[in-house]
Amino acid sequence: MSIINITNISKSFGKIQAVNNLSFEVQQGEIFGLLGPNGAGKTTTIRMILDIFKPDSGEISILGGSMSEEKKNQIGYLPEERGLYQDIPLERCLTFLATLKGMDENKAKDEIEDYMKRFDLDEYRDKKVKELSKGMQQKAQLITTLVHDPELVIIDEPFTSLDPVNTEMVKDLLELKRDEGKAIIMSTHQMNQVEELCDRILLIDQGQRVLYGTLEEIQNKFSSSDILVTPLSPLPDSIEGVRKIRKLNGRYHLVLDDDAQPNRILKRLINADVEISEFEIAVSPLNEIFIQVVNNQEVEGYD
Amino acid sequence: MTKIWKIIKYEYTRHVFKKRFIFNLLSLPIVVILLVGVAMLIASFTVNTKPVGYIDHSGVLDQPIRQENKGDMFNPIIDFQSYTYEEQAQASLDEDLIQAFYVIPEAFPESRDVQLIFLEEPSGNTQNQFDRFVRQNLETFQTLEPQIKTRLDQGSIVTMASQDGSREMREDQWYLTFTPFIAGIMFIIVVMTSGGYLLQAVVEEKENRTMEIMISSVNPGQLMTGKIIGNIAVGLTQLIIWLIFGWIGLTVGGQFWPLLRDFTLPPNYILVLLLVLLPSFVMVAAIMAAIGATMTEAREAQQLSGMFSLPIMIPYYISSSIMMNPNSPLAVGLSYFPLTAPITILMRMSFTVVPAWQIALNIAILIGFAILAIWFAGRAFRLGMLRYGKKLSFREVLRKHVEK
Repeated sequence: MSIINITNISKSFGKIQAVNNLSFEVQQGEIFGLLGPNGAGKTTTIRMILDIFKPDSGEISILGGSMSEEKKNQIGYLPEERGLYQDIPLERCLTFLATLKGMDENKAKDEIEDYMKRFDLDEYRDKKVKELSKGMQQKAQLITTLVHDPELVIIDEPFTSLDPVNTEMVKDLLELKRDEGKAIIMSTHQMNQVEELCDRILLIDQGQRVLYGTLEEIQNKFSSSDILVTPLSPLPDSIEGVRKIRKLNGRYHLVLDDDAQPNRILKRLINADVEISEFEIAVSPLNEIFIQVVNNQEVEGYD
Repeated sequence: MTKIWKIIKYEYTRHVFKKRFIFNLLSLPIVVILLVGVAMLIASFTVNTKPVGYIDHSGVLDQPIRQENKGDMFNPIIDFQSYTYEEQAQASLDEDLIQAFYVIPEAFPESRDVQLIFLEEPSGNTQNQFDRFVRQNLETFQTLEPQIKTRLDQGSIVTMASQDGSREMREDQWYLTFTPFIAGIMFIIVVMTSGGYLLQAVVEEKENRTMEIMISSVNPGQLMTGKIIGNIAVGLTQLIIWLIFGWIGLTVGGQFWPLLRDFTLPPNYILVLLLVLLPSFVMVAAIMAAIGATMTEAREAQQLSGMFSLPIMIPYYISSSIMMNPNSPLAVGLSYFPLTAPITILMRMSFTVVPAWQIALNIAILIGFAILAIWFAGRAFRLGMLRYGKKLSFREVLRKHVEK
């Protein structure tokens, strides 16, 4: 079932077209990656979903219709601009924000208690928020986003300021929410996290849809015939059919010409007496796809 | 609705149970109590309560009767001690047992002359009491009607009335002159407290970057309503507690100081006070909210808010001019300019008869500007709420084709 259904929305601020005729949908039980370079229109899109901005044209259906006050209680939002009330104790801040999501105060306190334990924050509950470290504030903000068990979670860069242990924990938490059938929209520039977590992605640039589909589909489309080689003897300076050779942690990344075949290249390497311990056809990292797509504006949107 | 209530509760409890608020709250009564205490202390040192002696050669005070009203701290009842010989009285005076003594000569019934001997002149209160004492014992006085006696004892109460009779001023209603002053000062303090808190509450949402979280939970209207009501409630709490302190002060003070005993305000006067001060309160609060919504830092916002709070005080700076010429073009003009209007009109009402139409116009202007300020604040809030780093100029708020 689709939680969000967006049809042809556009939004401009003065002369700047922030979002241009954008359509996509987000399903129940998936982590949806909303990607794009800085200024691509991601935050504007999120704000339109949240009814903070109204689109100039197009339609947004959320949880089966237009936004209402009740639906706001079903949404958890971690904005790019983090914010908590700095001057009050942590627990009070979290409780206040949870009750604004329609939670009963006692229930909110119980849930917050659980979350604070899980995030190792319970000894800081009486500390003022401004006395907490950046990472702790980030965790507190995540509690605010998730505590009311929302159907739709929208998170912008959830892993900034988190150490690897907490990053893993948050990932597990997001996967748990997905398995419970919640929809999660994640906007991030950390492509490795997208590869690990996201089921489907939407890449936008200059307010327009550039890539849209499952992670697999997209990676397959872009798995040009790049090759990863770990040679034991030096590679020749140039190999026929290889456009570019890049060294990566003792391995080589060979970018092939469009019509080159990987097995031909292997043959050529063997013929050139290169000793090879590893030869792998590369899946394009999302990072590469991102850079490639954003640099070549003409890349077609793809369904 | 429950969400508005939660915001009101949050804003209210955030200030009311803070040390700073309680300090603010108690500072005024403490200052007043201190001042009264100092005044009483000075009085207790300077007011002479020693008896006054008299030597009566005329026989008027052979069998003295005395009727005296209740005294108070500053005007205590003085005992009168009879002496037979001047030498005895002089000796008592030298020993500082009495503060002075009167000598009433034999010819007093005809001459009405007495002699007062002192080292330091007794207070007017003491001399008045002795005058009354002697008067009460005169034969002619005894024969008068009781009502006339009372009137003679009390002396005069001057009532001034304006020529058209629309306004009267009684000597013993001195407080009607001061009430607008005090109401004005209280108004300024309460407005500044509430307004300041409101300003802070709005600008803090931006400083803390909580605006986006808030408006993804409640709509901006609810947020603003909750904030305004919550912070105005803080100011009203302060006002009510002060009024209670004031009432206690008047009640307790009345025990010592009869001037405070008959303190009552005419109802129509209270009505005008409310009609002037309420819209002013809303207007200033909305201006503060608008400043909070356009600025990005609390410090900056505070500075700008000073520019708006200063004009409210102007009538106090030029109060002597308004007192002398309460109907001068300057005074009339200031009572139509929204920021100076509330205090100016109250001040003028103390010293002159302000025509009803002028009061009505003043109130209408204040209500109009209150509505305008709310509209402006709402607009500034909608436009400025997600601007974190950048100030919103007033011109932008007023421009027509801004995005919503």
